[in-house]
Amino acid sequence: MTISVGLSVLDSSLYIPELRPKRRESALHEMVARAHQLGAVRDAELLCETLSIRERIGSTAIGKGVAIPHARSLAVVEPRLVVARSRRGIDWGAADGCSVHVVLLALSPAELPNDAHHEFIARAVAVARLQRNRQKLIEADGFDAVASVLKEVTP
Amino acid sequence: MNEVASLLQLHDLDLLLSEVSDSGSRAQFKKLGLEIQDLNALERTRSRIVSAIDRRWLNHYERALRRYGRAVAIVRHRVCQGCFIKLPTSASPSGDEPITVCESCGRLLYWR
Repeated sequence: MTISVGLSVLDSSLYIPELRPKRRESALHEMVARAHQLGAVRDAELLCETLSIRERIGSTAIGKGVAIPHARSLAVVEPRLVVARSRRGIDWGAADGCSVHVVLLALSPAELPNDAHHEFIARAVAVARLQRNRQKLIEADGFDAVASVLKEVTP
Repeated sequence: MNEVASLLQLHDLDLLLSEVSDSGSRAQFKKLGLEIQDLNALERTRSRIVSAIDRRWLNHYERALRRYGRAVAIVRHRVCQGCFIKLPTSASPSGDEPITVCESCGRLLYWR
């Protein structure tokens, strides 16, 4: 199975322009609930716990206001990237101490090979590392603007 | 957490363990800015989850894990996604719990 951070993993319904929660766990719950509503996730409770376990072994905040939580799980139906923004910012335990304003939640089904899942995460990180992309994601006025940023790195 | 939820959680945790257990993978995650800081926390969580699972299920799980690397397979259109055998009607779960054992490959089947 091949994967790219492009239109195949994006869905306009999986973009949350303003996350309401202030806490990391609640933010993840809201993002998972959205994916569950759309049928991309078959078991929201399982996925939330899997993401929570991942956060316990090290924060998924990569710095400069971005977090890339990720999971390979039985709960996931197909590879999806849930994109969310928090203008207020969320404390994600980042090493640089910055609040997180952009969250890219990378979800892979359990049957996706480890290498493909890692590549998926790496591509999401590559997008978020570029300052101009971060800025566009923060200032996006809708899903199309977000999709255009993520398409830039589609192979 | 009920027993089925614990089994599914164990599966996801073992997937995560397989991703981060070797130093090469951890180095790759670190390079991405996603450093694994407390691997022991995974082992502690695993022990806690295992203690909540009946030995009968655990034996099936561990046997399949050793054999295939993943112990639980999804059922899609009545087909085990581990060995791709078409499952008979009699293989459906009888109670509320969405887990059975594949009679062909021995993986735990997740019917959802």
